[in-house]
Amino acid sequence: MAEDKEAEGEIKERKADELFKEFKEVSITEFFRKNKAHLGYSGKLRSLTTVIHELVTNSLDACEESGILPEIKVEIKQLGNEHYRFTETDNGPGIPEKHIGDVFGKMLAGTKFHRNIQLRGQQGIGVTGVTLFSQMTTGKPMKITTSTGDGRIHEIKLMVDVMKNKADVIETNIVSKLWQGTEIEGELKGVLFNLSEHGPFEYVRRTALANPHLKISFVDPEGRKTVFERASDVVPRPPTEMKPHPKGLSVDELLTKSKMSDARKVSSFLETTFARVSTSKTKELQGMVNFDLNKNPRKLTWAESEEIVQAFEKMDFMAPSIEGIRPIGEKQIEKAFLNVLKPEFHAVVSRKPTVYSGGIPFQIEVGIAYGGSSGKPSAEGTKSEVMRFANCVPLLFDAGGCALTEAINSVDWKRYDVKDFENSPITVFVNLVSMYVPYTSAGKQSVTGEDEIVKEIRMALMEVGRKFQRYHSKLRRDIEKEARMNALMKYSTELAPAIARLIGKDEKKMLKDLQDLIKKKLKMEEEREAKLEEYMEEAEPDTTFKDEEGEK
Amino acid sequence: MMKDRDKFVVSKIKGLAEEISDDIGKGKPPKMHVPLRGLNNVKFDKQSNLLRLGNKTSARNFMNIAHSRKFMQTMLIASKCQELVSRGKTASIREMYYQLKHTIANTKENTFEDQSESDPLIVDLETSLEVLREELHLKADDKGTIIGNIVIEDSGDFIDCNKLGRSGLAIPSIVEQYKFHEVKAEYVLVIETAAMFDRLVEEKYHTKNNCIMVATKGQAARGIRRLISRINRELKLPVIVFTDGDPWGYYIYSVLKAGSMALAHESERLGTPKSSYVGMTMTDIETYGLEKVTEKLKDVDKKRISELLQYPWFQHKEWRHQLSLMAEKGLRIEQQALASKSLEFVAEEYLPEKINSGKLLP
Repeated sequence: MAEDKEAEGEIKERKADELFKEFKEVSITEFFRKNKAHLGYSGKLRSLTTVIHELVTNSLDACEESGILPEIKVEIKQLGNEHYRFTETDNGPGIPEKHIGDVFGKMLAGTKFHRNIQLRGQQGIGVTGVTLFSQMTTGKPMKITTSTGDGRIHEIKLMVDVMKNKADVIETNIVSKLWQGTEIEGELKGVLFNLSEHGPFEYVRRTALANPHLKISFVDPEGRKTVFERASDVVPRPPTEMKPHPKGLSVDELLTKSKMSDARKVSSFLETTFARVSTSKTKELQGMVNFDLNKNPRKLTWAESEEIVQAFEKMDFMAPSIEGIRPIGEKQIEKAFLNVLKPEFHAVVSRKPTVYSGGIPFQIEVGIAYGGSSGKPSAEGTKSEVMRFANCVPLLFDAGGCALTEAINSVDWKRYDVKDFENSPITVFVNLVSMYVPYTSAGKQSVTGEDEIVKEIRMALMEVGRKFQRYHSKLRRDIEKEARMNALMKYSTELAPAIARLIGKDEKKMLKDLQDLIKKKLKMEEEREAKLEEYMEEAEPDTTFKDEEGEK
Repeated sequence: MMKDRDKFVVSKIKGLAEEISDDIGKGKPPKMHVPLRGLNNVKFDKQSNLLRLGNKTSARNFMNIAHSRKFMQTMLIASKCQELVSRGKTASIREMYYQLKHTIANTKENTFEDQSESDPLIVDLETSLEVLREELHLKADDKGTIIGNIVIEDSGDFIDCNKLGRSGLAIPSIVEQYKFHEVKAEYVLVIETAAMFDRLVEEKYHTKNNCIMVATKGQAARGIRRLISRINRELKLPVIVFTDGDPWGYYIYSVLKAGSMALAHESERLGTPKSSYVGMTMTDIETYGLEKVTEKLKDVDKKRISELLQYPWFQHKEWRHQLSLMAEKGLRIEQQALASKSLEFVAEEYLPEKINSGKLLP
């Protein structure tokens, strides 16, 4: 047994060495070139949406981290067949001159990659990917205009040196002017713009919904400008940096971190790098692994790293702190709904944070909007639309395999008086908030079907469903009441004269008396109903944790 | 000018309007009470062999949106009836419908969309006011035919029903004014289908057998029922009914004899409790070898049989026997199936034989 393990370890060790050798030889930029499909650059429409997504999330993250109320402008111009120019401008903190090259021309150089923090972008390849994609399709550089507000505006044109994984600055210019923010301009070929639900406009619209503190404008290739005004002046509190939790750690992640550590021992490396790993936990770990944890962490092998990960899986740890979670908030979502969708009815529910997969914190926020500009227009009338978000970022693609879609579809909308969900003017909004969103792939467009996540979404949707049902039945009662009033008034114009004629009384007086009677009676009924409703609402039981539809 | 009875009817209509006007004056929802006309408010009086209306009523409330339109319509009819009675005019129920039909001001809705809306409300009015349709100066279309040895006086004219060729006299919906003269016939034969009536006329059955023949042409209208009832009571002529051998034919007989649920309030005037039934019976099939000319019962027929078996006035053992036989065999037999023997068979053998030997059902 022990021999077998040793042998296995030997093989893995060699493999790890090869891996790192390769890592050095093939630059990560080259890797991107070969794998661009995984990063969202597949398909003409999706590639364009990905570009806008990378730029907008970058701007939003920068503004939030520096406590600025973001204002973003996006413009797309058509230059030729499948040839576009994009411009994205923000009022963010600007980029210090010495970092510009790294931000736009070097992979994995972002400020977020090595931190454990709930941010929109997380891979640190985002904006450089845009530079690269632009130069690959057009051969032209990106133009960056940025200033930190120090009176000097830097105008830089740069490309990515693919083999060296660094920026190749082509032109640089400084203008003296007081301004703060960043503007990025570039060209793309082989992409396509349209207004479909997978396109940049929809991306911007949904971003506005999930970020009520954002003012964002969009100019499409036809020159039509849409402005989504800010619904709230509250800047979300900046995200807190969190240590990663030992559960769900991958072998190469652990190995990469260990290589960068300056701790003297593996045990102290683990204690300082990960949350909830105490001295007693490393002692417990020592009993489960076949090597000395006093070893230098930089000399950790793949096999040893794997042993640690496997031991972690078997050990019990305190759940990660929920401190890092930043929901949008019910009130904020409501404001955004009213601002963007102008619905006749809306309901928003923010669930309490909970955990999936034995301890990873997450929180679910859902909303439903009905009427107004809710839903998506189509040739056959307004259809329902489902908006998925992960950490406020719209997920526009791969809806089919997504747990969020699964959860939404599992709700029996008929129970809540939505007779024909598909063909109703309804927008369903689901935001999954977590530091560790379990994406199905590097494209980050769909979430894996964790039971707890699906269940939480169902609960939240059922709650808004019940609210819709109450609204709908009230609406129906109002319509019925009005119809009844109209009918009675209508028939009274025939009934009163007939009676008056029969007994020789004045027809007009009879009609007035009858109509007064009708109005009085209906008003009394309405008052009675209002009282009853008030009572019902007060008496509503807390059904928060009951899955009333039962297991699917 | 107005006859006393007319004055009485007008005062009844006004009384209904007064009650509603009082309700409105007191700020109460206007209501009227209409006797229920269904199985649960109809009783079978074994003594007289007639259906009688019970005293259950339903309140029609104008404020109840399910009643509002009918409420309004009923009062429009009441108002028009008062006008008819006061002016000494009589209108057909179809004319009544057209007189009242118009678009309600500022709407796209008509006071009445179809005559089927006004007809039942007329009956509602009759029953709730406890007056007859003719007393409201309303009549229905002519339906049914009479032929045979009877002279009828109508508005000063004398009509010899034996001298009207093959067509006979059409029976109007109101026959109160009829006076009977020179009746030499010995009985009345009531026939369900027009085709059988024509067959018997061609065979001169009524002259050969000295009887009066009446065709109901389906379910008997009020005029036919009233005429048969009057001939039976006033002239003491026996009434014999001849229908198809199916639940619908048997029900036609039961309506002629005991009255109907819808007009239970008029059974006394419309029913002929002493009438009897000649055919077609289920036993005729075997007796006359008609097995090959029967028809299979449909689901609606079977359902109707079980309904009839529930009615208190179908509890006579002969009738239970006939209905059970029919259900058992799953067969029905039409009057005209007798033509399978010969065209003359019904007139020369079937009817004379059964009637003369008294093989009749009660």
